[in-house]
Amino acid sequence: MLPAVAARGAAPGVDHYARQTAADRPGVAQPVPLRPVPRQPWGPILLGAVALLALLIAGWEGYWRSFGARPGYRNTYGLWAIQRRRIDAGEGNATVLVGASRIYYDIQLPVWERLDGRRPIQLAFEGTSPLPYLEDLAADQKFTGRVLIGVAPDLFFSGYEYRGGAVRYTRKETPSEFIGQRLSMRLIEPYLAFEDGDFSLATVLERQPWPERPGKHVFLDPRKLGYHDADRNSYLWDKVADDPEYHELWQRIWHDNFQPSPDDPTPAQALKTEKEQISRAARVVAKLRAHGVQVLFVRMPSSGEYLQFENAHFPRKRTWDALLAATGAAGIHFEDYPELQGYYLPEWSHMTRPEAERFTAALYGVIEREFWGPNASRPPAAKATAAQ
Amino acid sequence: MVFNSLTFIVFFACVLGLHSLPLPWTAKKINLLIASYLFYAAWNPPFVILLWISTVVDWYAAQGLVKARRQSSRHAWMLLSVVANLGMLGYFKYGQFLLDNFTALMSAIGIAYHPAHYDIVLPVGISFYTFATMSYTLDVYLRRAAPARNLLDYALFVTFFPHLVAGPIMRPTELVPQFAQPRRASADQLRFGLALMTLGLFNKIVLADSFLSQVAERVYDSDKIPGALDAWAATLAFSGQIFCDFAGYSTTAIGAALCLGFAMPDNFRFPYAAVGFSDFWRRWHITLSSWLRDYLYIPLGGNRHGARRTYLALMCTMLLGGLWHGANWTFVAWGGLHGLYLAVERLLRARFVNYRPGPVVFVLLGLLTYTLVNITWVFFRAKTFSKAWIVLRGMAGQNAAARPILATYSLLSVAAIVGALLVTHWLMRSRTLESLVARAPAAAVSMVWALMAFAIIIAQGSGSAFIYFQF
Repeated sequence: MLPAVAARGAAPGVDHYARQTAADRPGVAQPVPLRPVPRQPWGPILLGAVALLALLIAGWEGYWRSFGARPGYRNTYGLWAIQRRRIDAGEGNATVLVGASRIYYDIQLPVWERLDGRRPIQLAFEGTSPLPYLEDLAADQKFTGRVLIGVAPDLFFSGYEYRGGAVRYTRKETPSEFIGQRLSMRLIEPYLAFEDGDFSLATVLERQPWPERPGKHVFLDPRKLGYHDADRNSYLWDKVADDPEYHELWQRIWHDNFQPSPDDPTPAQALKTEKEQISRAARVVAKLRAHGVQVLFVRMPSSGEYLQFENAHFPRKRTWDALLAATGAAGIHFEDYPELQGYYLPEWSHMTRPEAERFTAALYGVIEREFWGPNASRPPAAKATAAQ
Repeated sequence: MVFNSLTFIVFFACVLGLHSLPLPWTAKKINLLIASYLFYAAWNPPFVILLWISTVVDWYAAQGLVKARRQSSRHAWMLLSVVANLGMLGYFKYGQFLLDNFTALMSAIGIAYHPAHYDIVLPVGISFYTFATMSYTLDVYLRRAAPARNLLDYALFVTFFPHLVAGPIMRPTELVPQFAQPRRASADQLRFGLALMTLGLFNKIVLADSFLSQVAERVYDSDKIPGALDAWAATLAFSGQIFCDFAGYSTTAIGAALCLGFAMPDNFRFPYAAVGFSDFWRRWHITLSSWLRDYLYIPLGGNRHGARRTYLALMCTMLLGGLWHGANWTFVAWGGLHGLYLAVERLLRARFVNYRPGPVVFVLLGLLTYTLVNITWVFFRAKTFSKAWIVLRGMAGQNAAARPILATYSLLSVAAIVGALLVTHWLMRSRTLESLVARAPAAAVSMVWALMAFAIIIAQGSGSAFIYFQF
């Protein structure tokens, strides 16, 4: 298949590799294609490419490690699916955590396991209302355990779903994706710090200080916030608390994202959405209770400008109180419990790991004392029908 | 499985390893066949049955064709193949579409018809392998080719994993003879094959997925009204995305086959340097356009029965070619526009037989071709006609309510990548990739290879499917 004439040194403009395609041969049987290999010292070329690639990867890895990154599991839908399938595989009576990022950064599974004897199943997703995941649990008759629902008002009552596709992914996960997830968890993710969406080429380039296009404000994109274990136990990246520049950047991100945008819904639309989300929650809680699931909402702590934003746009009476009234479910609001207040949230929304460990123990104590413990003062009514 | 996945890397390493073992040639072919079924089953195992049906029907149809004494029997065997393949394609790909259109038609004449909704899952690559198997029976029917000598070679032709789900659409005469004798890649074929796979994956993961797809999505998949800049940027981005995605797949497939010692045909020849639409279709998705020409346009009469019949055949071919891409009228509109362009070009060529453009006009005609191709991409990318009109009005600067959608970075990335793509296509329009590589210093080839591989790794692709898998 290699053309007899060497191309290197051939007269300019002469293509010795030129060949016909099917486009040049109408209405005839197409012959075996030509697939010439350009005349080059391919052995040394491959060796050189591999050596240079190794150097580039080492340099890239070194750069991100010096930035403070370290290897960790990617919070993919595949990782979520592994946890979700624990319910199908005999853990239907487990405690499940759903919600947004606060519930997975602020609740530490090892602490919970130490106190409870069983490790909860972590099914929360950042930037995402828990309702689609609750609806999935409510449709699963195998799930009869307890569910702790984290409420971040700006996500829960707006119905925002940044990562809302995990249920669909889990149902449709192909054998190839199933295997790929496990290969990545064994061969790539435990070893490479740069293997993180935040450090991908396009993300890095997009976050450079490009001039702003008139009439188009680019809101600051949330940066890497934490790390995940194989079972999705998650914790805040030290850099958020320890690196003043990164810490300040995160506060700027929230501040920027609290500014009005032309894409924001009108107040009337927002109010309508809030009511829809509360009704949706009432329906799903009723279904969960119908198969014996104990439901508990928890309003996780926030502080500073974030708390001010939440109070201004999602006032407690109109949202949290209405949610509990509509669902008839029990709830823990951090402002009602002294032991759930006073934690350090470096960027106003999530706790550092030591604080999260302390908080988990305190929250577990409240839950056991008032709701789920053998001598609970306010035990939830099983198989009750939610108030509509 | 998709080429841009960790699963494929491990799979391909195993296949290469098995193929290099000192086993009998038949054992190696069986290995390749099993590997190809695994490759396909990695999406949805039950759909392997469809592959078997397609394989068995066309195998027996071709055997029947050879043994048939009468022309009517030959017709019957050929029709069996066509009906079985198109029936399968019709059910899985167009069933819901036909039902929806029937319901709409009934509604238009005042009959309220509410059929049950069928959640039909489209088997990946069904349009590709049904066309490949049909070309086998049709070539035997047209006496262009002899049937394969054994079922193993034929089954491997249908199923060979590099071309199985998104082409290049192979003809039996291109691939079956390669299974006759033992084949193993030479060291240089293996290395060049790996280089081609790197180039293909760079196109897909880095250019198409990391940079261009999001720009198109932000305009085409949002409810915002685009102005001229945003509408053009998104459409140009999609023109780059679909080329990088599909040509990337073809290049990876060709490279994978070469690593195993097999040759697959070119599917793209720098299409955005085309001057005119007949030139475009000689450069874009060559294996599909030549398939449609050989098995549809020519049997419909081609250019042998006068001008009117030629235009009719042309339009039918392009409209059906559009529908092949997807069960949506927007794809038919895309094909129809290309048919119209080809018809107008044919008229102009007949009117100006002796016209030879100078270099400047030649380039301008090329840019006009690219611009008109972009108009067709609007219908290809938009999910509905209303969205297509919104984008087209934006491209014409007629959207009064438009607000900026894309940020500076998006605009710059489209300008840089699509600009570079166009320049590359023009510089390479009469050349081959191999000639460019052969003339380059070895150190430069090594460096470019490493940089592309590095970009693939740090782009951290999400393993998203190739656009053409849905067709």
